[in-house]
Amino acid sequence: MRTFTFALICVAVAAATFVAARLVGNDYVFFAGYVVLQYIVLATAWNILGGYTGYVNFGSAAFFALGAYATVFLHKAFPVVTTYFVDEPYALPIPVLIVIGAVISGIVGLGMGYLTLRLRGAFFAIATLALAVVLQTFITNWSYVGGSRGAYVIRPNDIEPIGPYIQYLFLLMLALAVLALVVARSIERSRLGLGFAAIRDDELAAEASGVPTLKLKLIATTISGALMGMAGAPFPYYIGYLQPTSAFALDYAVNSIAMPMIGGTTSWIGPLIGAILLGSLQQVATVTISSSVNLLIVGLLIVDCVIIAPTGILGLLQGRRTARDVVADPAVFSLLFAVNVIPIYFLHQEAFAARPLEIIFWAVLIFLAFARGRLIGLRWLVGLPIAGAALSMVPDPPRLIMALVLAICLVAGLVRRPRDPVARSTP
Amino acid sequence: MTALLEVDNVSKRFGGFVALDGINLSVKAGERLGLIGPNGSGKSTLVNCICGTLSNETGTVCFDGATMNGLTAHERTRRGLARSFQLPRPFASLSVAENLRVPLLYTVNARSGPHLSAAEIDARTAELLSLVGLANRGSQQPRDLTQVDMRKLELARALAAEPKLLIADESMAGLSNNEVADIVALLIRLNERGITIIMIEHIMRAVMSFSQRLVVLVSGKKIADGAPDTVIRDPEVERAYLGQ
Repeated sequence: MRTFTFALICVAVAAATFVAARLVGNDYVFFAGYVVLQYIVLATAWNILGGYTGYVNFGSAAFFALGAYATVFLHKAFPVVTTYFVDEPYALPIPVLIVIGAVISGIVGLGMGYLTLRLRGAFFAIATLALAVVLQTFITNWSYVGGSRGAYVIRPNDIEPIGPYIQYLFLLMLALAVLALVVARSIERSRLGLGFAAIRDDELAAEASGVPTLKLKLIATTISGALMGMAGAPFPYYIGYLQPTSAFALDYAVNSIAMPMIGGTTSWIGPLIGAILLGSLQQVATVTISSSVNLLIVGLLIVDCVIIAPTGILGLLQGRRTARDVVADPAVFSLLFAVNVIPIYFLHQEAFAARPLEIIFWAVLIFLAFARGRLIGLRWLVGLPIAGAALSMVPDPPRLIMALVLAICLVAGLVRRPRDPVARSTP
Repeated sequence: MTALLEVDNVSKRFGGFVALDGINLSVKAGERLGLIGPNGSGKSTLVNCICGTLSNETGTVCFDGATMNGLTAHERTRRGLARSFQLPRPFASLSVAENLRVPLLYTVNARSGPHLSAAEIDARTAELLSLVGLANRGSQQPRDLTQVDMRKLELARALAAEPKLLIADESMAGLSNNEVADIVALLIRLNERGITIIMIEHIMRAVMSFSQRLVVLVSGKKIADGAPDTVIRDPEVERAYLGQ
């Protein structure tokens, strides 16, 4: 498929999303959707450096915040002009701010890359984390953009001809998501993408094959940084009040790593899957429980993902690794099983609206029981968590029975050893 | 014949350990050179200094009439200096054919002159694969290859860069006699096409049947350089290999 065709399809899907969101007729959809879209951009941007080139960036929040604070700065530098005749609310339109945010974050990405790309692995990750801390300290102490007090950016109520301003922001973020995906996909299929993959696999061999590794890595940090800055630029308008702790929040760094990891890092579609899945899950969690439970859910999903699907959902679908082998070790099975019961326990204490969030963890339990049951010849094992899941969906579930069912599943999964000794060897 | 590669007084130390101590080496265009030495004698370090993976502290490396000092490894590859690695280092997430596309796109197409089109790259990839005997493995992943095939891939990837000088760093370790003979024959065929080759090897049978000239490194010093038959009878070489 040509890039142009792909871009057209993306635009069509985006348009359909927007129309569908309008049909819902509730502005909250736009507020929640905006965040998910923002994560699509961030995850895709992270993946260009982290997934394609293999350099793990822990400083996503810094690039995001740079874009956001560029907006705050320009908002103050070109203040609201209100005269008797003209009420010109904002001197710079947001698309311009997005471009500026991209340029600034791109330049910082280039500079950071130049300073740190000679480092590998954990050292590079720590350096990017340090960059985020340095920038946050700088912003916190820069009173012009609000310092630690934060800055207000008043969002107008409406914009012509779209209507509510949030719909305009949503539309912009939709456009950015399309842009990010098109960029990521065309990189993946180009000479550049091949060079990135060579660097990820073996930098020394890449260099020996004529790949200018430093130059390519700088290109990756610049593109990745610029896209993150783009995602951050409209953020002050979305949130209305920006302070360093919200712009540099841990969520951005963690999510932009977790989403590609969970989706799969080798393809543009991985971060998309991860961002939609985790992003919407977090939105549901924010509404039904609390925003701090988000990170618990993300954390546990990462644990599941690293063990069951190290190459992401994408890798699991393509069957690059037989995920069933992980439960060959009874200890791994029991630990994973227990870990996935924890969120179910906590979610059950919340309001009934939080129940749907459990589904994902029930699914993991069912998968574990299925795989373990197959391996040890107890195929009925899968029935237990299915029964548990069914019970948990009734309004006043018999918790004791559920706990019992899960305990039986866990114990029954442990007692019998796999018949085939070869199957027990974990890869 | 003029010298294609001129290594002049190259030294390299790692902390207090002198890995290379004032090495001089001259390789003529079209030559087949064998480079031997006991483990830890600095053979691979010399290759790394020639190819730009490591930078030498003293001395110069001249290749094709230009000094290589300060050039990065990929710049040297683009000038026609290719190497294979001692332990195969394939690009694990790419298919075998894609492994060859990397040097084709980044070295051959980065040189001045007409660029290969997509079709030409595919043709070249197929040609290289059949040259090393991996003709029907193009779509496989490197991890599915045997050790021999992995070494063949390593050679093919170095060859894809269309080198003037190929440095084959122990490309035969661990192979059976027949496989060694295969690779020696392949290297000689390549040499007949005009590629200068430096072979680093422990398998003496391969070295002796391949080399026109033999260089011996011991503890970072060059102790012998000459016709293979004379060199292996050199008492100093015997002492280095067998002890006294």
